[in-house]
Amino acid sequence: MSELVLEPFRLPYMQRALAEVLLLGVLTGVAGVFVVLRRLAFMSDALTHTVFPGLVVAHLAGRSLALGALAFGVLTAVLFTLLAANRRVGSDAGMAIVLTALFSVGVVLVSRQHSYTSDLTLFLFGRVLTVDRADLVTTLVLAVLVLAVLAVLGKELVLRAFDPEGSTAMGYRGVVLDLVLNLLIALVVVAAVKAVGTVLVVAMLVVPAASARLLADRLAGMTILSCAFGVLGGWGGLLASYQLSVRGGLRLAAGATIVVVLVACFLAALAVAALRGRDGAQAAAP
Amino acid sequence: MSRREPRRRETALAFDRAAVRLGGRTIWSDLSLSVAHGQFVAILGPNGAGKSTLIKAVLGLVPVVRGSITVLGRAPRAARREVAYVPQADTLDAEFPVSALQVVLMGRYPRVGWVRRPGRADRAAARDALDAVGLAGQAGARFGTLSGGQRQRVLLARAIAQEPRLLLLDEPTNGVDAVSQQLLLLALQRLRADGAAVVVATHDLGLAHLACDDVCLLNHHQVGFGPVDETLTPELLRAAYGGQAIELGGQGVIVARP
Repeated sequence: MSELVLEPFRLPYMQRALAEVLLLGVLTGVAGVFVVLRRLAFMSDALTHTVFPGLVVAHLAGRSLALGALAFGVLTAVLFTLLAANRRVGSDAGMAIVLTALFSVGVVLVSRQHSYTSDLTLFLFGRVLTVDRADLVTTLVLAVLVLAVLAVLGKELVLRAFDPEGSTAMGYRGVVLDLVLNLLIALVVVAAVKAVGTVLVVAMLVVPAASARLLADRLAGMTILSCAFGVLGGWGGLLASYQLSVRGGLRLAAGATIVVVLVACFLAALAVAALRGRDGAQAAAP
Repeated sequence: MSRREPRRRETALAFDRAAVRLGGRTIWSDLSLSVAHGQFVAILGPNGAGKSTLIKAVLGLVPVVRGSITVLGRAPRAARREVAYVPQADTLDAEFPVSALQVVLMGRYPRVGWVRRPGRADRAAARDALDAVGLAGQAGARFGTLSGGQRQRVLLARAIAQEPRLLLLDEPTNGVDAVSQQLLLLALQRLRADGAAVVVATHDLGLAHLACDDVCLLNHHQVGFGPVDETLTPELLRAAYGGQAIELGGQGVIVARP
């Protein structure tokens, strides 16, 4: 058994991959709670697509991918907040415009490259098995930064999610709090982009927190469960993709396998919540 | 404390020929009223008359285009820290993972400040506030599992925990059972006795009759403002509610809800 579970992680590249996904599991687990409670899943999805041209530009310029992602992530977070504040445009239309515009720019730029397909795959789906020490440090720094800001502004962000009008009435500036949260989500996307790519990172942000919400009644419990699901999905996905590739000859992509495990956890949480709900209804019946 | 001479006490809230516009439309104009500390005033009018906008204007969420609104001697935005707002309970997400006590603690956040977490004194204040609305036993219950009336009382407790000098309530009796209504009114009376001014936007004539000192009848303009028995007359009510007001034998008036 320990052969099956521990042996893969004796390989250095698997150790780095494991460290990366565990870090991301905790980071996306905590940040995801705010994404789910603020109903920002679509906005996170849009952000992941707009970070894509940043990666392409950085790649073409020979700069760090994280830097390119950061620049475009921040730009989009600001654009989203401003467009959402414009009543005529509205948040959903504003997001769709920014998303498609920037994504197209990315595709146009990358399509001029000879290594078009392989570059595109890297940006969209990531390569967790090629994560190096520098990537790990980048993820760690971003994770510490995001978690620190959430620790400082957590209660105000929760109040804004629960009762936006009440929060403004107490004197908190809604636009500022929204901008901060959007920027944090952008940073999480940047942190995760090398490992799981721009398409799959939204799954890491939304699925663990959504699973936790099905099972937890309190914010603290939801946050802990969300982290647990994130860590479990990262570890389980890496392990499954390794074992099935090495022993089963199936050649599963690690990033996508992580998402499959996360979604399996979500389905299990859904089943547990449904069973609990039925029991609750029976208990309440006379 | 005499209730006969409310005008001579210090003013908590004053409108002076105020007008607001929202989305290019004038919601109401020429509104003049004053609320003294310890006074309970109802803003009464049909749906869409601009009652909620009035509350938002007091909070400084809607700009005043003519005249002025003075809150606790300051501009509305500058007074927010001493003003508490109680929203309608059913506008909030019932599935949100917070307990009743956690909701009440939110009222302490402006005092707690950034970074820090609510301390022992804040928890004590929150528990006292829950006790004041008769929900001490429900502190640990998830907000969404409480009844509509209980949720409304939790939100009032949150406002009490803010220790406000002016309290604003938006339709606090909507869909609220008789017991909760009683407990709400009791808690409001206690706040008034401590010197807080209370303004409630409502279409509940009974609430105005039962509990309020003054009433402002509103329907895009000020139909009437003054003591309850002088303002809730058949003539003024008909003027405010139009065809929705039905007179009963020249004495009472029923307002039919559309």
